[in-house]
Amino acid sequence: MVPDPSTLSQPSSEASEQRPVLSLRGIQKSFGGPLALADVNFDVRSGRIHALLGMNGAGKSTLVQIISGSLPATSGEIVLNGAPFRTMTPRRARSAGVATVFQRRTLVGSLTVAENILMGELPVRAGFVDWREAHSLAGNALAAIRAEIDPRQTVNKLGAAHQTLVEIAREIRKGASLLMLDEPTAALGAVDARIVHDVVRGLAADGVAIIYISHHLDEVFELADDVTVLRDGHVVLDVPVASIDLKELVRAMVGEDVRSERRPRNNAVGEVRLELDDISAAGEIDGFSVAVRAGEIVAVLGPAGAAQESLFPILSGLSSPASGVIEVAGETLKQGSVRAALRAGVRCISVDRMGYGLIPGLSVAENITALEQAIARKAFVSWRAISLRARELREQFNVVSLHDNPAIESLSGGNQQKVLLGKLLANDHVVACLLEEPTGGVDISAKAEIHRYVEDLASRGVAVLLASSDVDEVLRLADRIVVVRGTAQVAECVATETTREELVAMVLGGQE
Amino acid sequence: MTMTTGKPRRLHIPDFASQHVGLLSVVLVIGVFLAISTDAFATGPNIINILRQVSVMAVLAAGLTMLLGAGGLDFSLGSQVAVVVAVAAQLISAEVPVGIAIVIVLILGLLMGLINGLIITIFGVAPFVVTLASATLLDGAALVIMNGQSVSIGSALSELGTGTFLGIPYLLIIAIVACVFVGVVLKWTRFGRDTLAIGGNSMAARLTGIPVRSRTLSLYAMNGLFAAIAGVMLLSRLGASSPGTGGLHLELSVVAAVVIGGTALHGGSATVFGTALGVILLGMVANGLNLLQISSFYQPVSVGLVLMVAAIVNELRHRRKR
Repeated sequence: MVPDPSTLSQPSSEASEQRPVLSLRGIQKSFGGPLALADVNFDVRSGRIHALLGMNGAGKSTLVQIISGSLPATSGEIVLNGAPFRTMTPRRARSAGVATVFQRRTLVGSLTVAENILMGELPVRAGFVDWREAHSLAGNALAAIRAEIDPRQTVNKLGAAHQTLVEIAREIRKGASLLMLDEPTAALGAVDARIVHDVVRGLAADGVAIIYISHHLDEVFELADDVTVLRDGHVVLDVPVASIDLKELVRAMVGEDVRSERRPRNNAVGEVRLELDDISAAGEIDGFSVAVRAGEIVAVLGPAGAAQESLFPILSGLSSPASGVIEVAGETLKQGSVRAALRAGVRCISVDRMGYGLIPGLSVAENITALEQAIARKAFVSWRAISLRARELREQFNVVSLHDNPAIESLSGGNQQKVLLGKLLANDHVVACLLEEPTGGVDISAKAEIHRYVEDLASRGVAVLLASSDVDEVLRLADRIVVVRGTAQVAECVATETTREELVAMVLGGQE
Repeated sequence: MTMTTGKPRRLHIPDFASQHVGLLSVVLVIGVFLAISTDAFATGPNIINILRQVSVMAVLAAGLTMLLGAGGLDFSLGSQVAVVVAVAAQLISAEVPVGIAIVIVLILGLLMGLINGLIITIFGVAPFVVTLASATLLDGAALVIMNGQSVSIGSALSELGTGTFLGIPYLLIIAIVACVFVGVVLKWTRFGRDTLAIGGNSMAARLTGIPVRSRTLSLYAMNGLFAAIAGVMLLSRLGASSPGTGGLHLELSVVAAVVIGGTALHGGSATVFGTALGVILLGMVANGLNLLQISSFYQPVSVGLVLMVAAIVNELRHRRKR
């Protein structure tokens, strides 16, 4: 409970503009393990756009949840417009003027803009919805944030930027002195982002205090007045944007160079086994080209939502891109065919293990042998063969479980991932492999094992493509790194010749 | 296999039965109750009679069990039966040789299932809607074929309908063969395992290289074939086709039997043993109401009640697993 020196220095009778709308005093949060947030202090003032930055897992989202009352802080105090709160609840936050637009949309797409803005409080006259009144109320709410959107429009028909504006209008309408925006432009292109920026600037000019979470650093320099950087739950930087440059900002975010051990690999790379040439798919990826040699690990690194995420559907054959050629071992791959991709020896592992990889209801043994069984195309199933092969694979990939052959759902994330790797990568037909965030949602020890399997895979002569938003993992595993941002391929470098800072700056988009 | 659980096993129940202890005991309790409260229930002829009556339903339910396992659904099986019964009756009464008539309706059944499957896989329309539409359509078609009147086939199929082999009715033999067939396919063939994989996660199944569409298509076609077999069986038992034979009414009992047996509607698992128990339970209840001289109006009431209780029990069991 150390009083903030800046507030002490102000006479309390000063205009409210001088008093912060939000003061965080010693906020701590622990989920049982190490502190997710440790002694977080900072102020957000009226009319200022306050950027909140940090790498994945730095604690930004946790902090937003605590301020909005959806998570209780372990200790500390939240002061809103001068009123201190030890325990915050969503209701208290709401009535104290805190509005939050979460990263995940909360709109009902099939309803109109007006219905979404007035959700739960549609005006009613004599038991019937008063549509004239509803549209005028919603129109006012939209006008208040200077958004030109027809309240009669169905939300699904709006572009992504305008959907974000509808959410902002809904929140502001409830009365907000503090608006928190969690990556409002993460999935938007430059033009769409500008639409959102204009609205945010306008709100700040109206005196709303704004907390703006972003991964785009150029956006921060363009938009924000103040910036707070979180790293591992600590505030490491809290300054006006004008007093800092890109380099300092990146250094604050990534911290000291704690590069994890790169194991020296025998990089005997061979022929090109996987080549993507000028791949484009509308709105997802634009003119993407990469060639991966046998034994090589090439990472496609980009922020969440960027082009690396469209590689999985394209390479696995789930969808065919609008244009471009894929060559596997020198032969053109028939696009849009899962079976052609499998037959050519392409194996794709999605970050969404349960959605795109494993089959609930079937046992571990059946899951881990599923691909081999499907390829073998035998009419009858030999349970003996499956259980023997499954045992082999489970040993090879070190799948640990309490029971002998449990349901796949009961395994931990790391073990599920190992089952998926075993299913797809065990046999000899693998020519090229795409791994999408291979250690997402996986504990540390499983992570190390999975890294080893990926390296083994490369040393077996497989061309490995890694789609990732994790800078450290990319530096740990990759030989070459292709950086993407939005839909575009922006840079390429050799892993050993780049630094973490350079890479982060490239991914997050500094003008360097 | 259960080396990790410390509990000693006193009684060995085969795997396929252990998940049905609840349903088995319900069947036994009702059986004992009926045996005590009526003289006729626990007699050989009556048991055989029940089994003969449920045979048609068992064939349909066996096929549907597999389809539900794949996350599919077919509401038109009863109506396919109605059409098959009508066509077979017309053919036989028009003096087409019985063998040829049967072959024709089996092909007809296959086609009806195939068309359902094609619409579902090509256009991606929800199976619920497609098969509800075809059920209505086929119900009407059956009436058109019969011209709204009963068509008798005399004794052309009575050997099949009433005959026995070693004391076991032919119809029951067919039903057992159908159930065993589905059980074997589900457990020991690639087709069966693919079925459950598709029901468990069709996206992952597709990415594993399982031909999801052709498997799904085969399943609907197979169900059509089973419906045709069931139709021939029903005709052989009734000796005539009349308006209202088969149709949605029969269908709902079949769906009820499968759900009572413990096969989940969302796919990924299927148990034909449970389905057989479900069919037997419904047959016993109908027979019991009859023997206890309770108005037949109560039969749908009892089917509905049993279904509802079974659905609740299944849901609670799943919830505990999670």
